[in-house]
Amino acid sequence: MNDTSEHNQHGSRNGVFVLVFLMLCALTAVSFWISRSDLMHDPVRGWGAMLAVSIGKSALVAAFFMHLWWEKAWKYVLTIPAMAIGIVLILSLIPDIGYRMDTYSKDRADSAAVHNNDADNPTIGFYGSEQ
Amino acid sequence: MNHDHHIELEYEPAVPVSRGKLAIWLFLSTEIMFFTALVGTYIVLRFGAPAGSWPSPASVGVVEWIGALNTFVLICSSVAIVFCFESARLDRPAKARNWLLVTMVLGMVFLGIKGYEYNSKFKHGYYPQYPRSIMYDRPNEQYLSGLKENLRIQIADLETAILEQKRAAEGSGTESSSAQPEVASLLRRAPEGDTSAAVDASNLEEKLELLYQVQSGMVNWTERKVGRTDDPLMQQRAIEALTWQINPVFGDSEQVRKYLSDEKDEVSLLIVGQNSALTDLRETLETAQGEIVSFEEADDKGDEYKEAVKLAESTTREITAVELQLRQLESRISALDSFADAEHGINEEFHLQLPMVLPSGNTWANTYFLLTGCHAVHVLFGIFAFLILLPMRLGSARAGVVENVALYWHFVDIVWIFLFPLLYLF
Repeated sequence: MNDTSEHNQHGSRNGVFVLVFLMLCALTAVSFWISRSDLMHDPVRGWGAMLAVSIGKSALVAAFFMHLWWEKAWKYVLTIPAMAIGIVLILSLIPDIGYRMDTYSKDRADSAAVHNNDADNPTIGFYGSEQ
Repeated sequence: MNHDHHIELEYEPAVPVSRGKLAIWLFLSTEIMFFTALVGTYIVLRFGAPAGSWPSPASVGVVEWIGALNTFVLICSSVAIVFCFESARLDRPAKARNWLLVTMVLGMVFLGIKGYEYNSKFKHGYYPQYPRSIMYDRPNEQYLSGLKENLRIQIADLETAILEQKRAAEGSGTESSSAQPEVASLLRRAPEGDTSAAVDASNLEEKLELLYQVQSGMVNWTERKVGRTDDPLMQQRAIEALTWQINPVFGDSEQVRKYLSDEKDEVSLLIVGQNSALTDLRETLETAQGEIVSFEEADDKGDEYKEAVKLAESTTREITAVELQLRQLESRISALDSFADAEHGINEEFHLQLPMVLPSGNTWANTYFLLTGCHAVHVLFGIFAFLILLPMRLGSARAGVVENVALYWHFVDIVWIFLFPLLYLF
């Protein structure tokens, strides 16, 4: 079927769609499970895993529900540059925004409402731990 | 030159799809850029915030299972529009219309659930406000003065509303209509506020009593406590205990409870001490007054008389001061007692919107409403498109249009696939 436009297809693809639907439900359950699993001890790993699941889910939707699986090469022209530009934009934010909290000033650490592991710069008050 | 001969041009489409489909994919590629940038910015903000400096979903009323339910609703709607397109492609218009209807209803269910969620955020004050929201990053002096000012305004508004209500009741209804809306808007935030019920004066007065108690027994108390000491630890603890009582989201509950019960013991002791001091002072005053009376009968008012008058005056002043302190101590005790059972915080238990400490609460609110709002608007436009399609005959002649709308709807689903874990599970 790969060589024809889908309007010429007359076969039923409903089986594929139901399968994708079930996989989407299962993957949603997986991300729910990750949020309560040991992976969240290192939040960045847990979040990374959840995002990977999301990328998988969106790939399923795009490939089958949006028929990209059966489309010709034009699909790459319209999707890959758009995604690449979006991703470059995000990456360029990381140095300034992503790392903004990596170094605290003394003043900031003193009144920060967050857990602070720095023994020389201890957080005071009750806000030593997150509830 | 032969002009009679026309060149026959044969166009071959550059891409093997219809123009409509090409257009919708071009549109979707701009949407991909828009949402990748939007969602990506949120990811960078969220990943860059260390533990404890970003509101947990539970602390801002984000309920996981509601988000999961909405995810399921959207996935189902995506499947429904797939079947709608398949039916149209195979020229089964009746079936296609039914699937379209299912998709549209599911889209509306999604928006309904979203609206319910938004309402729960608005009720708690977890949203951006002008000139500033009631969410503060840190428990510090700025928070304390913000809380004080907010409380002053709330109390003034409430007093005015109660006054106007009384005036309206006296003026037997003719002018009451002008005061009603304001009163109703205040009642919405009052304990067990029921907007449909008739305006209930006792509710407003109860709320005012509560706010007075917070003002005298908590905010003013904390302010005095912070002002009296130079020890930053003592100052910090006093403010943090206050913020914890209002909204116990961050902080070590056990430590704060111990701090508060210690303070209660201390204040109780002080009350006993001040009461006995008051008794002593009153005795001194009585003696002095007796002396003054006895001297008044005599003609010669000597130095002893003057001393007695001086003593009476200074004792009266001291009594006033001790009585003031006693009132402050008692208002603290009564506030500690009244709010001791407010396990989920005063805001939650008494349906109040007092300024609270929620680190990065404003950044959270801005990104949450921007992301979910942009998505919800897309859902809304999808529903409009369905409404346009619904009266048409969705046979194979219209399969192309159905496919384009379906492509858009799937994209909206993909955006939600990312928003669900990012906003509900992180």
